[in-house]
Amino acid sequence: MSQLQARFFTEYKKFAIDDVPFSIPAASEVTDLSNVINKLLEFKIADHKHVEFDFLVRGQFLRTSLANHMETENISTEEVVEIEYVQKFTAPQPEECIMHDDWISSVEADSEWILTGSYDKTARIWSLEGKAVMTVAGHTDVVKDVAWVKRDGLSSLLLTASLDQTVLLWEWNSERNKVKARHCCRGHAGSVDTIAVDPTRTKFCSGSWDKMLKIWSAESQVINKIKRPDSDKNSFSSLQTPLMTLSGHGEAVSSVLWTDAEELCSASWDHTIRLWDAETGGQKSMLTGSKVFNCISYSPLCRRLASGSTDRHVRLWDPRSKDGSLVLLSLTSHTGWVTAVRWSLSNNHQLVSGSFDNMVKLWDIRSCKAPLYDLAAHEDRVMCADWTESGVRNRWRLCVCCELCVVCENCIVLLVGTGRFYT
Amino acid sequence: MERRADCSWWSGGKREGRRAPGKRTGPVKCPRERETKAVSREGKKGERPAKQTSYRKATETDRIGEKSIKRKGTQGFVCIFRRTVQDKMTGSDVRLSDEQVDLVHRLQHGKFGDINFNEYEPAIDFFSNEVMIHPVTNRPEDKRSFIPSLIEKEKVGKLVHAIKMGWIKPRRPKDSAPLYYDLWAKEDPNSILGRHKMHVPAPKIRLPGHEESYNPPPEYLLTEEERLAWEQQDPEERKLSLLPQKFPSLRAVPAFTRFIHERFERCLDLYLCPRQRKMRVNVNPEDLIPKLPKPKDLHPCTAGHSSLVRSISVAPGGQWLVSGSDDGTVRFWEVATARCLKTVEVGGAVKSVAWSPNPAVCLVAISHGNTVVLMNPGLGDRLILSATDQLISSYEEPTEVKDQPVEWSLAEGTEHQQGQRLILTHPRAVKQVTWHGKGDYLACVMPDVSSNVQVVIHQVSKRRTQNPFRKNKGMVQCVSFHPIRPYFFVATQRHVRVYNLIKQELTKKLMTNCKWVSSMAIHPGGDNVICGSYDCRVLTNSSTDPEHHKKALRGVAYHRQYPLFASGSDDGSVIVCHGMVYNDLLQNPLIVPVKVLKGHTITHDLGVLDVAFHPTQPWVFSSGADGTVRLFT
Repeated sequence: MSQLQARFFTEYKKFAIDDVPFSIPAASEVTDLSNVINKLLEFKIADHKHVEFDFLVRGQFLRTSLANHMETENISTEEVVEIEYVQKFTAPQPEECIMHDDWISSVEADSEWILTGSYDKTARIWSLEGKAVMTVAGHTDVVKDVAWVKRDGLSSLLLTASLDQTVLLWEWNSERNKVKARHCCRGHAGSVDTIAVDPTRTKFCSGSWDKMLKIWSAESQVINKIKRPDSDKNSFSSLQTPLMTLSGHGEAVSSVLWTDAEELCSASWDHTIRLWDAETGGQKSMLTGSKVFNCISYSPLCRRLASGSTDRHVRLWDPRSKDGSLVLLSLTSHTGWVTAVRWSLSNNHQLVSGSFDNMVKLWDIRSCKAPLYDLAAHEDRVMCADWTESGVRNRWRLCVCCELCVVCENCIVLLVGTGRFYT
Repeated sequence: MERRADCSWWSGGKREGRRAPGKRTGPVKCPRERETKAVSREGKKGERPAKQTSYRKATETDRIGEKSIKRKGTQGFVCIFRRTVQDKMTGSDVRLSDEQVDLVHRLQHGKFGDINFNEYEPAIDFFSNEVMIHPVTNRPEDKRSFIPSLIEKEKVGKLVHAIKMGWIKPRRPKDSAPLYYDLWAKEDPNSILGRHKMHVPAPKIRLPGHEESYNPPPEYLLTEEERLAWEQQDPEERKLSLLPQKFPSLRAVPAFTRFIHERFERCLDLYLCPRQRKMRVNVNPEDLIPKLPKPKDLHPCTAGHSSLVRSISVAPGGQWLVSGSDDGTVRFWEVATARCLKTVEVGGAVKSVAWSPNPAVCLVAISHGNTVVLMNPGLGDRLILSATDQLISSYEEPTEVKDQPVEWSLAEGTEHQQGQRLILTHPRAVKQVTWHGKGDYLACVMPDVSSNVQVVIHQVSKRRTQNPFRKNKGMVQCVSFHPIRPYFFVATQRHVRVYNLIKQELTKKLMTNCKWVSSMAIHPGGDNVICGSYDCRVLTNSSTDPEHHKKALRGVAYHRQYPLFASGSDDGSVIVCHGMVYNDLLQNPLIVPVKVLKGHTITHDLGVLDVAFHPTQPWVFSSGADGTVRLFT
């Protein structure tokens, strides 16, 4: 059996071993290498407990035997191989399941609360433990998207977008548990499918089926208050007009987000992702795909854009590339429309994708051939997903919602994994 | 040449004056003279070795001889007897021998020095009037012939000057390309079109075996039974074409009786053998089979209908889909999420639904039983919805009421709340509804062989109904409006008739060549029609598709932007074809099946009942007898 010269290194002081090359069998796999490291650590540290490790060879996760991997990655076996090892990411486990009466169209979680929008025309606020706290009712049609605007102390602002062509801004007082509609944003000529709040928390953008993007102010001071007796809507007194309208898409806008305070990014059914200047309202650049985009997500950590489309692929884009349609990476494993992608908030390599094939997949972009984990906790099509940053520093959570055939059995599943690495 | 000319001149006898310039100058000598002199010299040499001294002596004696001859008259004897001669070089006296004296005497008398030389040998005539190609003499070239001539120098000088002045161009370099070259030298012999591949050698004659021998081994000779069997066989069936026979010697072999016959057969073989290799496109048979999508690719709408879904239609914006089912409900779906947003009970099996193609109004025509309901589904832009309601409510009753075959009435109460706006009651069951491209006219089909009111056209804004046809031309299967021009397509069982609605005349009659047309769709450009028929065929306006479907076709649809059309059949499959239509109408459209989509389960021997395309995306919807609507992307 052939042997390889390998040198192991890690970024964690706790698990560091001596910097000497080892001769290891070429056919060894992740578990073998992990055992080797554990043995070495046992020699070094007396009270070492067994830790599962994962291995990176030139930035790519080792998934097959070392020899195979190096052959496919075209790495010379003559030289000493540098292998980085990290603590293995343990499989996320479903933690909680929140049942909903109707399909959940969107979910947004922050450190304390989870906000969901539903097809029963309401939005709901849940605590992280899965307790229903508040039902926000006011729309005359299906709620398509929800977003937290800001939370200062006990009162928080939240947004709901609906099929009835309006976006509502609500103020919620968590202590008194009262919700009040601040104002109603009207102006779209189609269902409002997506909203995104800008990083300064003063503006938000909405994308609609009518191919338009509109930027609205989220601050109550700027509103033109128009008193209007509204018959079918109970208490919305103030109407708001958009600050800016961005048009350019040829088809319905499916997803919108802010990459920074001045830049907007929108994905559409016309097979394009467009970047807009939020100050001037001009289009900055355009990324062209070949299929309908359902969702996009941007990671400020790695400055990449991830898109999910109807052709079952998750694609990574560099929004800064000026030459346009450059797909950095395609993540292919889903078998249905990809309806949700979301970058991890803390780890610049991880993203989660949900699809109509009932699967949620956790990806590490360092191993693009296969996902890290398939989360098959759902019995129905996944509609949306979000990460939450919990109070405990080294725990992360993932909120995913899906729809079920039987309408009253819809659920949110909270999945939890242990151990973020950078402690 | 020159020499030859000389020869001729010499042979002509004019020996003087005619000499090649620079070659032969000096005293004219007859060749014969020269010959004789040469011979005499030879003779002298043979006599005594030519020495410088002796030569001088000879010349001296010559001079002496002259002197002595001069004196001869007076002192004849003196000179005869004087043999001693003074050699001026040495100053000594030399006494001549007898032979030398004799020679002097001979020379003094004008005779040849050599005694043996015969001056009077018979003459040989070298020169004749015949032109010779070789010189008569082999005399070496004169020295002067090697000296460059002035004339030539002058000529060369002129040429050099001309070259210097550029009047004469130096010689063009020869182009290296050969005049003739191998046309096939660069050809890849391994390519499919290579010449060597195309070469088909003529079939070879089989070499004769033992049985053809005049003296075959005894085991090759046929026994009596074998021979009888051979004779009874047909000549084509015989294994051997001739009977093996044994002869004692080759001499005893008679003439071969079948010779002509055999030559003829050989010629026939050569004549019939293939001489050209048939070029076959290398097609992998696997490629011809349309690829099946994975069942997981299919995106079934949740089974909302409890009975077979007869008809589907997509909203012009592509956001909504309406489906009508035999369970008496019409459902409205959101395409992006496959969510059923609305269910409307109409109270009867829904035969046909059609979304108005006009994006400015939101109306859906639903036919069930005898009635056609125009419904405002309440989906989409609120302004459009209110505009639609306004359009319907703004109708004013005309002053004179015409007798109409159809009763128009407004929906009220719960029906109005459901979204129903107008109810049209027809005399018979309505099978199909279809909209004109502008969304104002609506055509309904009531198939009945006995009646002449099979097709009616409604105008929604004026609530008017007209019967376009007075005569019954057979049972109408389906109708369709031309998307741009005022044409109206009516498909009966065997024919598709095209009527001009403005001129009110029959424009065209298309023969479909099928037994029973089931459905029809018109290309958005308006130039092509496809028909689906119950005998498993898809027909375009000029060609018939091979039978891809196993069972009767139920629905066909064109895509609005992409060159695609789809057909759904009772075998539960939807075939999406790429149809390339050429501007040249004589050229058959190119139809390539792209995909076979299977997802519907066959219930009651019915599979797919209707197909529709998304208006902008290359997505096809199909409704099936299993109560589902499926979206294939």
